[in-house]
Amino acid sequence: MEKTLLDLIAPLLLAAVPAIIALLVRPAWAQRAAGIGLAAALFNVFISAPANILPFGQSLVYDPLTKLFWLLILGAALAAVVLTPRAACASELPANEYYFLLPISAVGLMAMLAAGDLIGVFIALEVVSLPLYALAAARRTAAGAEAGYKYFLLGSFGAALTVLGIAFFYGSVGSALITSAAAIAGLTAHQAAASAGFLLIMAGFAFKAALVPFHMWVPDVYEGSPSPVGAFMASAVKAGAVLVLFRLFVAADLPLYYKVFWWVAALTMAAGNIAALPQTGVKRMLAYSSVAHAGYLLTGFMGGKAAFPAVYFYLAVYAAATIGAFSLVAILEKEEKGVTLDGLRGLAAADPAKAALMAVFVLSLAGIPPLAGFFGKFWLFAQAVRGGSPGLVVIAVLASAVSLYYYLSIMTAMYAGKGGASDAPRARTPFTLWLLGAFVLFGGLAADLFLLPAARALPFLP
Amino acid sequence: MMIGPDLLNIAIYLPLAAGALIALLPRAKEHLSGPLALAASLLAFIPALALYLGFDPALPGMQFAQDLPWLSALGARYAIGLDGVSLLMFILTAFLGPIAVLSSFEAVKEHRRFYYASLLALQTGMLGVFAALDLLLFYVFWEAMLIPMYFIIGIWGGQRRIYASVKFFIYTMAGSLLMLAAILWLYFGHQAKTGVYTFALGAYGNAAAGGTGMLLFLAFALAFAIKVPLWPFHTWLPDAHVEAPTAGSIILAGVLLKMGVYGFIRIAVPFFPEAAMAAGWPIAALGAFGVIYGSLTAWAQGDIKKLVAYSSVAHLGIVMVGVLVLEPAAVGGAVLQMVNHGLSTGALFLCVGMLYERRHTRLMADYGGIAKVMPAFAAVFMIVTLSSIGLPGLNGFIGEFLILFGTFKVWPCLALVSLGGVILSAVYMLGMYQKVFFGPVTNPANKDLPDLKVREWLCVLPLLALIVWIGVYPNFFLRRIDAAVNDYIRLAGGPRPAVTLAQEGK
Repeated sequence: MEKTLLDLIAPLLLAAVPAIIALLVRPAWAQRAAGIGLAAALFNVFISAPANILPFGQSLVYDPLTKLFWLLILGAALAAVVLTPRAACASELPANEYYFLLPISAVGLMAMLAAGDLIGVFIALEVVSLPLYALAAARRTAAGAEAGYKYFLLGSFGAALTVLGIAFFYGSVGSALITSAAAIAGLTAHQAAASAGFLLIMAGFAFKAALVPFHMWVPDVYEGSPSPVGAFMASAVKAGAVLVLFRLFVAADLPLYYKVFWWVAALTMAAGNIAALPQTGVKRMLAYSSVAHAGYLLTGFMGGKAAFPAVYFYLAVYAAATIGAFSLVAILEKEEKGVTLDGLRGLAAADPAKAALMAVFVLSLAGIPPLAGFFGKFWLFAQAVRGGSPGLVVIAVLASAVSLYYYLSIMTAMYAGKGGASDAPRARTPFTLWLLGAFVLFGGLAADLFLLPAARALPFLP
Repeated sequence: MMIGPDLLNIAIYLPLAAGALIALLPRAKEHLSGPLALAASLLAFIPALALYLGFDPALPGMQFAQDLPWLSALGARYAIGLDGVSLLMFILTAFLGPIAVLSSFEAVKEHRRFYYASLLALQTGMLGVFAALDLLLFYVFWEAMLIPMYFIIGIWGGQRRIYASVKFFIYTMAGSLLMLAAILWLYFGHQAKTGVYTFALGAYGNAAAGGTGMLLFLAFALAFAIKVPLWPFHTWLPDAHVEAPTAGSIILAGVLLKMGVYGFIRIAVPFFPEAAMAAGWPIAALGAFGVIYGSLTAWAQGDIKKLVAYSSVAHLGIVMVGVLVLEPAAVGGAVLQMVNHGLSTGALFLCVGMLYERRHTRLMADYGGIAKVMPAFAAVFMIVTLSSIGLPGLNGFIGEFLILFGTFKVWPCLALVSLGGVILSAVYMLGMYQKVFFGPVTNPANKDLPDLKVREWLCVLPLLALIVWIGVYPNFFLRRIDAAVNDYIRLAGGPRPAVTLAQEGK
């Protein structure tokens, strides 16, 4: 059967239309509408075969690579929506708007990852960002306003860099296709402008992925915005940004970029992990840890194109653990400051199920076997060794050792401490959290399920 | 059922499965968690024993081996099997499991389900380390074990448990991460040479030489040396031992430390024989120094548990000398001594725990004249003490004698230094025994201590039986090691040439 344009954009519509419906129905129904839409889109992507049509020039490409991207984004967005606690919508999030904005942002991410040219990527980036600006500022408090403001100002700055970069790039290469980045190395005239321009394009996404030096906003925004929004930003949005960065990075494949990313990776890991050490707020700690994880991912970039399966698997595992941890924080937090380490003290005695899940997520982030995070990290660092950057791997390994300290402080608070959490009301532990926990627990032992399809999609990388 | 890989898998995973079951017990049935854990660990001992008896000592190489695809994208395989050395460690682990469980019945009152689940998960991790024949699988078991141990020290430990557990975790992890980097280097180096991605242990015999080999050897050696622990990487051990609950100490001393030595035998030395040949003496010298250092430090302790902890540094130091000297008698002795140390130090911690449960102090000064109050306990403690010192007729003598005998031919100087440590061990152990058990009962709190209970007898009797058995008839154990020891020495490029005292170290 001939594929049509409708087949191509069906997942986008399936996610977007229920989101619009979520605006119109009673608040109690909004979550269901958004969730059903995302689940339908996920299912549609899962069963659909990649179509070989290129509408609108190459603004949308649906190849096996796109399919994997979409599965990851939709999975993360769906988990974030399903795990949003009812209570959050009662107190700080306007339900209709929230369940509209979040899926729309996810649709933007899908378009961003399917775009074959830079203009498409940029437009999609704006579709991602605008709903997020509103979501970040959802709390009507000083901290909420600060989060919204910071995210908006710095996000606009990043987007402006991207546009500027596109102008440079288009001006010197004469094409806005991502694949044409491969031409930079062969340019005789304007090579400097083209390579600098392409680097600027990546800067815009480095902001979303929270790479040093574009990471300053992360702790304030993650802490100031509602926890479910933080979960979405730290998982789906970061995954989308890292994947775009990876596509751009391997499309250009310039030795210069390897050097730049080497340093960015090293600094990101160092800054994220060191800043996380003294934190006592769990959300701030997770925020800095998410900065550090962007650095680990960049370490994998050193393996070039062939590193894709590792990057993809790591993103999936990281996203699952991050959504899980943030959702637990969302469930446990009593006031808007979020949960502190003191607040977690004695959680294991008061609520063993939640403590065990938190332990699984945190240990996976720390990269302890047999949890999936270990296999992700292992394979990621392996790429860097293969790519000839063992020095960066040594830095990454040392950074991981440092990170143990703060991840263990969460564990210690939950298991060895007394008080704090023991008087907390026991909320139900959502089933989805158990699913995420099972994935993080056993995902590493079944890593083939991710690595093999990703390896098959390799030829579709630019 | 045939004695084969299936039985091996059952022995490894039965504790974990039982642990998961116990963790899921309803709160009202919490009192069942201890008996269930005991039943599971006893049940898991049966296949381990069957494997031990079914092992053919005449065959070299791995037995009960299994090799299944696991992570095909990485070339990692699920490969397990046992040779003589791992067999002994395996049976030791399975043997100490039920004792550790039984020793916790009265000591552990809080979160019992989680405690026994952790203890059983730990058991699976340790058994897996000794059975793994794939580097990635080995690493996964090696690290996975940290989590339950961290919980056991951190939740059910003493006053400074949090400090001790975090220190234990970070020390071990830091070493392991370096090992991970070295594994990756090897893995890609092997791929560049042969075009095959593999983690099979067998593929990496003599994997690298020269400067690279030395660097990689040192990365592995550091990770294992921290675990052993070799002086000066031992500082986590006294903290962890003192703070851990009795069962944690038994497992730590009995099995965990052996994993470091096992790492040298299975990985560090066979992978980099050239580097091991060159760096063997300095590392063994650290071990020999550790014998003296550990003994002197133990001598100075007023806390019985700390004394036993430092004595472990000394005992493991001499084992390291035996492993690195690459002389058949010494290596065989070292492997046997690992078992001996597991039995006698495990028993010592058990006895210290029994004292502590009665009086809630571990200071020698608080005791005195206990032999009058608890005569049976005093007798048990005496046998265990003598075993630890290495009295002929008990197990410790055989191991230490073989090590010193073998080492003297090759490194006479180190052998003499180690011998000094062995003599010192008699000084501090008997000194401790005298302070605790002899003399008048000065402290009125010690007047009415009850003697050993049935449960406690059940804990110590199997240990005593083995202590005597190995001392009288070590061949039952030694003959299973021989083939593996010869394999090891061959892979390591040994044996080393014999030298005289004057030539050593030149």
